[in-house]
Amino acid sequence: MTALSELIADRHILVCVGPGGVGKTTTAAALALRAADEGRRTIVCTIDPARRLAQSLGLDALDNSPRRIKVPSAHRRAPELWGMMLDMKSTFDDMILDMTSPERAQQIFANPFYQHVSSTLAGTQEYMAMEKLWELHEEGRWELIVLDTPPTRSALDFLDAPKKVTDFLEGRFLRLLLWPYLYAGKTYLKAVNFGAKAFLKVATKITGSELLADVANFFMAFEGMYDTFKDRAKRVHELLAARRTGFVVVSAPQEASLREARYFVQRLGAEHMPLGGVVMNRTHVVPAAAGLEDPRALAERARAAGNGRVLAPALDLYSWWREISLREGDAVKAALGDLTDVPIWQVPDMADDVHDVPALRRVAEELLGPLPPMPPGAAAPPKKESSES
Amino acid sequence: MPGSLVTSRLAIVSGKGGVGKTTVAAALAVAAARAGKQVLLVEVEQREGLAPLFGEKHIGYEEARLAPGVTGLSVVPDEALVEYLYLFYGIRYVGRVLKGSKAVEFATNIAPGLRDILLIGKLKEAERRKVGGDYAYDLIVLDAPPTGRLPRFLEAPRAVVELVHSGPIRQQAQGVLDMVTDRKRCQVVLVTLPEDMPVAETAEAAETVSKLGVAVGPVVVNGVYPDSFAPDDLDAVANDARTTLAHDALRSGLSLGDEALENLARVAGAHARRTVHQHEAIAQLESETGLPRLTLPFLFSSRMGKEEVARLADLLAEQGALEENGAAR
Repeated sequence: MTALSELIADRHILVCVGPGGVGKTTTAAALALRAADEGRRTIVCTIDPARRLAQSLGLDALDNSPRRIKVPSAHRRAPELWGMMLDMKSTFDDMILDMTSPERAQQIFANPFYQHVSSTLAGTQEYMAMEKLWELHEEGRWELIVLDTPPTRSALDFLDAPKKVTDFLEGRFLRLLLWPYLYAGKTYLKAVNFGAKAFLKVATKITGSELLADVANFFMAFEGMYDTFKDRAKRVHELLAARRTGFVVVSAPQEASLREARYFVQRLGAEHMPLGGVVMNRTHVVPAAAGLEDPRALAERARAAGNGRVLAPALDLYSWWREISLREGDAVKAALGDLTDVPIWQVPDMADDVHDVPALRRVAEELLGPLPPMPPGAAAPPKKESSES
Repeated sequence: MPGSLVTSRLAIVSGKGGVGKTTVAAALAVAAARAGKQVLLVEVEQREGLAPLFGEKHIGYEEARLAPGVTGLSVVPDEALVEYLYLFYGIRYVGRVLKGSKAVEFATNIAPGLRDILLIGKLKEAERRKVGGDYAYDLIVLDAPPTGRLPRFLEAPRAVVELVHSGPIRQQAQGVLDMVTDRKRCQVVLVTLPEDMPVAETAEAAETVSKLGVAVGPVVVNGVYPDSFAPDDLDAVANDARTTLAHDALRSGLSLGDEALENLARVAGAHARRTVHQHEAIAQLESETGLPRLTLPFLFSSRMGKEEVARLADLLAEQGALEENGAAR
């Protein structure tokens, strides 16, 4: 089993995955902040449309280009923490510009179908996240890249995204269907099988012919780019599977979230992806305590004495939370208990919302213990490799 | 609280991930059924979240009874497309050919928003459906995509209307657009937790949804912790629970050891601080949205099922979330 501190110290990429609403973005931010506090130049990249990371760092807006986040230092040296928020459309645009001639790119951008595909096609968001990850990796400016992922219900979307998008763009079947549009003017229709003809008839009827023409043009414009897409997808896959990558599954101790977490763990295993472990957020650990064996009875006594204004409800609460803590423990055991080689790191439910740097540091402390002192020799500020705003 | 009524025939229940919108959607459906309504409870994206709340394994594309007065339906785009082709064109064969082929994936990806149009279109069909002169359903509750994806979902009909200039799909999209922008027919019910970030996201979503011309109904504040301490004691417990507890114990004649006091103080302090934040978050929601509120308590349970849904339904009904069936609209 790997300790979380090792992941923070020596991995190059950490990918946080998990269901929505379990504090995934917060976890990604806390891990990135800790790595930066330990002296690693770190970037955290989120793709959540609700801009939660920006909020959790007390920033108004992050955008598609990396920005330095001003963080008060925990050590002598100011932590180098960067943040960015993935903008699907501009990432897609950049990628196409990178892959083809400017003329062809403009042709693609002008296509109304592209405009919608680039922001709405299933899997695009995940695919662009991967593309951005590669870009950040290639830039070589960061020692650690922490990637937050969209709360896709199914992990399949995440790992299959490159394939899904390339399949779609390659779309052999579609091209067959769109034959008459792709080769307008030529009478190849006879060669098209019945299903395709019927489909085309219906599709035209439903959508009108302009849209189909747009779509056909779209596929034509991508002609010759499919192999590039595939190559890119392949190398991202290799990057994800690399030894210096670590996946962190984020969950909460409720049955529904735990089911998802288990699925993520198993799926990553099946894909031979390097799983670091599971961060279990919002846990309630209320230990048994000497003298509190029967809190309800004590609460009764305090009430009867007439002086239990605070004590009686506190005893009731203890009894409630103790029960919750036991139930959560059972739920975690039932969902993940058999996966003995998967470390689980717990974060207690914070009474306060986590949305600023000190709170993120508290989360990191819960996960990793206190910030270790700066190793000797690391105290001197590193030479500036690039000066960014 | 007449302002907190869910008055439309379609209630789109959404919220930030993890706030319990599926549970709230189920509770709303059960509450409506108890008020005498025929309710259709719908999930999209095959999220399989509703079935376990009714002790079922699975909800399918066939409408099936989940509880008295509550029918469940899981809308799948493929099925919706096939049904759409059949209903509007009498095309059966092609539907069958298309099903399972990549063509459906294509068709639902090709026309931007076609997928969402098919989903909402199915809801419109159910909303308009009549049996013997009466509407088949008095209320349709949709367990909708989370707020992050909600605008795109609601925008779909407009996008299609803009992109497709003629033909039946345009008509369909126009019909759907008419429904979602009619406050008597459609309302968005936002679910939140009493915490900063969900509240901020809820306020943002309320604004976006309104701008799209869709009515926003009451906000359901879910997972509210009980006010265990008197308002006067709250600060003292939040800041230094241990001293207050030791004092109380002394006066009550209970002897509590260090370990007991320590653990009690930890739980009580955290709870008190949470209560303070909760009040602040609700005040923030109030000042930012001014929307009527329905409040549901935090349930001390790590699994949600029939019992929990029934309890929440009672609480929604008590707060007047729904009018009795037959009341004037």
